[in-house]
Amino acid sequence: MGTLIKQEFYKLFHKTGTWIAIGIMVALQIVFAIVRMVNPDLFTLGDLVSLDFMGGGLVIILAVAATASVVAQEFQFGTMKQLLYRKYYRSQVFISKVITMVLYLFILQAIATIVTVVLSVTTGKYDWLKVVGKHANWETYGISVIGFFLVSLLLLSVVLLLSTLLKSNAAAVSTGIVGYFLMNIASGIFIALIDKWEFLKWNPFTFLMVGSQVANETYSKMTHLSTPVMIGGSLVYTVLFTVIAYLSFRKRSV
Amino acid sequence: MSTVLTVDHLDKSFGSKQVLHGVDFFVEEGHVAGLVGPNGAGKSTIMKAILGLIPVNGGGVEITGQPVSITSHQALRKVGALIEYPGIYPFLTGQQHLELFADKHNKAANIKEIVDALGMGTYINRKAKLYSLGMKQKLGIAQALVNQPKLVILDEPMNGLDPQAVKDLRDIIRKMAANGTSFLISSHILSELEKVADDVLILNHGHIVRETGMAELAHDGGVTYEITTGNLDQAKAALATANVAFTQNGQNLVIKDDEAVGTLNQALYALVQHGVAITAVDQKTRDLEASFLDMVQKDKKEA
Repeated sequence: MGTLIKQEFYKLFHKTGTWIAIGIMVALQIVFAIVRMVNPDLFTLGDLVSLDFMGGGLVIILAVAATASVVAQEFQFGTMKQLLYRKYYRSQVFISKVITMVLYLFILQAIATIVTVVLSVTTGKYDWLKVVGKHANWETYGISVIGFFLVSLLLLSVVLLLSTLLKSNAAAVSTGIVGYFLMNIASGIFIALIDKWEFLKWNPFTFLMVGSQVANETYSKMTHLSTPVMIGGSLVYTVLFTVIAYLSFRKRSV
Repeated sequence: MSTVLTVDHLDKSFGSKQVLHGVDFFVEEGHVAGLVGPNGAGKSTIMKAILGLIPVNGGGVEITGQPVSITSHQALRKVGALIEYPGIYPFLTGQQHLELFADKHNKAANIKEIVDALGMGTYINRKAKLYSLGMKQKLGIAQALVNQPKLVILDEPMNGLDPQAVKDLRDIIRKMAANGTSFLISSHILSELEKVADDVLILNHGHIVRETGMAELAHDGGVTYEITTGNLDQAKAALATANVAFTQNGQNLVIKDDEAVGTLNQALYALVQHGVAITAVDQKTRDLEASFLDMVQKDKKEA
């Protein structure tokens, strides 16, 4: 399994696009830090930190794009046979791809966090130890990152499922990114409908709010679910979509 | 000599269509087996079944005595393959492809050896998206061979290769076979397969219709000789007088040799006795293509 994961990372980090995307993310964070320095009234430093200097949005888009292509590219380039005729099984190949994508998400977030910390103390005087409300700033940031991971894993499991259904890498990536935005829109619509039809709170789109609710518990009034239930539910849906993705992957002919 | 690959009564259906019917053969250590058959005969399906890529409906596959199936891949540890067309990541260079799939043991040396043997040195550090069809094919072959496998499965390996590359590949196969590697190769370029294979398996409609050594196949139907003479009419008359059966191919006379009777000796004696000048005698054995076409025709008639 270790070899398979290494090979997945080898492919991922030998794509020029991977480095360009990371470069763009860091550049965007720096640009927003400079913009705030030039015009401090535009954003507060606290807001920018909570958004990773706008890098947070790119973390999920980059992870979605990578996940969308992780299976589809193997079918498009005809490389799936090479992965499968060795001593490894389909389940191992699939799990190695899932692990690689989860680790890639961690790496992206780690880069975004490091740059955020550096920018927050070099371009402003952000006090990470200052207690605001119940938590210190670093704790609040950490909780929002945990929430972000939960919602990201749920999204990536859906994107992975799409990736196993599509043969073209470009189609998978564009479907993944468009799907990401559509899912967020659908989530908003379903949230609005929950007040009318209570049972709708169990639909998977509700659990896309888990990130917001972990960071701010008042969202439970909208979702009609407690935070522990939201966390558990999002993990259950993540596992469910991943299992369906595996079943779809297993049925694909090579 | 031990058996490296055993295919035992393999059955495979796609839906209601059965494509393999009890396919049964083996490949010995250091042997090169050619798998030939018309389009749709089931060659790629056999290869995919050997590599555990598809489930089968009956029978089984063993590599060095270990079973292989879609749920049992351990025996594939020492197998290299190129199936249908080479899988290439366009964003990687040829060198990176080989580094990606090469085993740790002797990695750099193994990569260098196969790159040199296939003459890929001038473009190995270029991105694969810039490769021609032939370059991609060589890279696919290099990936199959880089780990010095015990068994190599090659599906149409000569596709897109220039004559020099075909010769290089032939040399590599013969060298590896001499060192104990076994090969199962399918190809439509029968003249090339004939030069490299020790054994031949002829497949038609999912059945093995002939499994034999290449040398035996060449002697199927006996050996013929084409005799070129200075005077065709005089030569024909001489053979007729001596009761030697012959046919005519252009300006040549064709004698089917029967060792027991010594037909060639009789013919040459008759020609010399009648004062016919003999300018050339060519021995003709049947080639793989002729045998293959005969076999397929015969199978068609029987069906």
